Amino acid sequence: MRYERNEWPSYKSEMPLGQIPVLKVDGVKLPQSMAIARFLAKRFGLWGKDDLQQANVDTVVDTIVNLMNKFSPIYAEQDESKKKAEMAKFFPNELPKHVRNLDTLVKLYSDGGLFFVGNHLTCCDLEVYNILEYLLQIDENVLYSYSWLHKNREEVEKQPKIASYLKNRPARRSTTC
Amino acid sequence: MSNYKLYYFNGRGRAEVTRLIFAQAGQKFEDIRWEHSEWPQHKAETPLGQMPVLEVDGTKLPQSLSIARFVAKKFNLAGRDNLEQAKVDSVIDTNADLLQKFVTVSFEKDEQKKQQALETFQQEDLPKQLQNLETLLTNYGQTGPYFLGANLTWADLMFLDMVEKVQDLVKTQNFLDKYPKLKRNHDEVQKQPKIAAYLKSRPQTPF
Repeated sequence: MRYERNEWPSYKSEMPLGQIPVLKVDGVKLPQSMAIARFLAKRFGLWGKDDLQQANVDTVVDTIVNLMNKFSPIYAEQDESKKKAEMAKFFPNELPKHVRNLDTLVKLYSDGGLFFVGNHLTCCDLEVYNILEYLLQIDENVLYSYSWLHKNREEVEKQPKIASYLKNRPARRSTTC
Repeated sequence: MSNYKLYYFNGRGRAEVTRLIFAQAGQKFEDIRWEHSEWPQHKAETPLGQMPVLEVDGTKLPQSLSIARFVAKKFNLAGRDNLEQAKVDSVIDTNADLLQKFVTVSFEKDEQKKQQALETFQQEDLPKQLQNLETLLTNYGQTGPYFLGANLTWADLMFLDMVEKVQDLVKTQNFLDKYPKLKRNHDEVQKQPKIAAYLKSRPQTPF
């Protein structure tokens, strides 16, 4: 379900926390995007095969969410000149350490494969793909020296169901992540 | 039998929720606390140059909430099935939203900006998230007292930790008065024998 911004106010009070996304499942309205994502990933075998792999997937997700928490307010900034100034600081000063952290986790968890954890696609590959897409649209050199992160992106895009989804999904017009 | 080592500063901060989980689980662990002056020499030993880190079975896990979730699951404090775990996660994430605002105020160095940020926190952010938590407690917990009703989970422990942090910041406890279910939850959790014993015996620290 996709609401236009002008439709949203009339649906807001139907959501538990007046926020979206919300997943309606088994009679429950579940708020909080990461809680939703983890729930679905577990249901569909995309969260890691044992406790430790699951913790590693969570760690990668937390790391990319740390990045998103810094980037998102800047991306959503309405004042154009303020946004430009903040972006100019974010890309050289803040972003590199987050990308480096991701690369560190790759070395720890990927077992020489092309996915973050356990040699198979998990929801953290998808979340990293999703967030980095916003950044790459602004600066295509964000992953410049991180060849593994490039290859991981290519590997995610090649998955047949992902490729098909990326081709057919509605074009994104929002100004928030 | 796994051996657990939790590394953090000598304070509650981002490690306390995991300490509370270990306490409720009755699980011994090495509670390693480094003073700020010691930290630089240990930083490179950690995966991301950050703490907390949990060392278990030869692996070092970073990221406080991933650590807490891993330990909670091990000791059946994360919810009994996927949907319960998702409900718990949504409470954790709501607490984390509040924590993010708390951190912004707490770490602001400019005194004037800090006062403004504190006021915004007390007038806007805190009431908003407390209302959200009261809503989730009502929706998931039914007659309560815990976020999942009759079963204590790490959602309750994270809330306990958050209340302490907010108390430290706003110097009062009365912010829960308007939220009867949250207040009852907070009272009940503190009374649990293992939690009460832990709160009594843990090191007293400023943060």
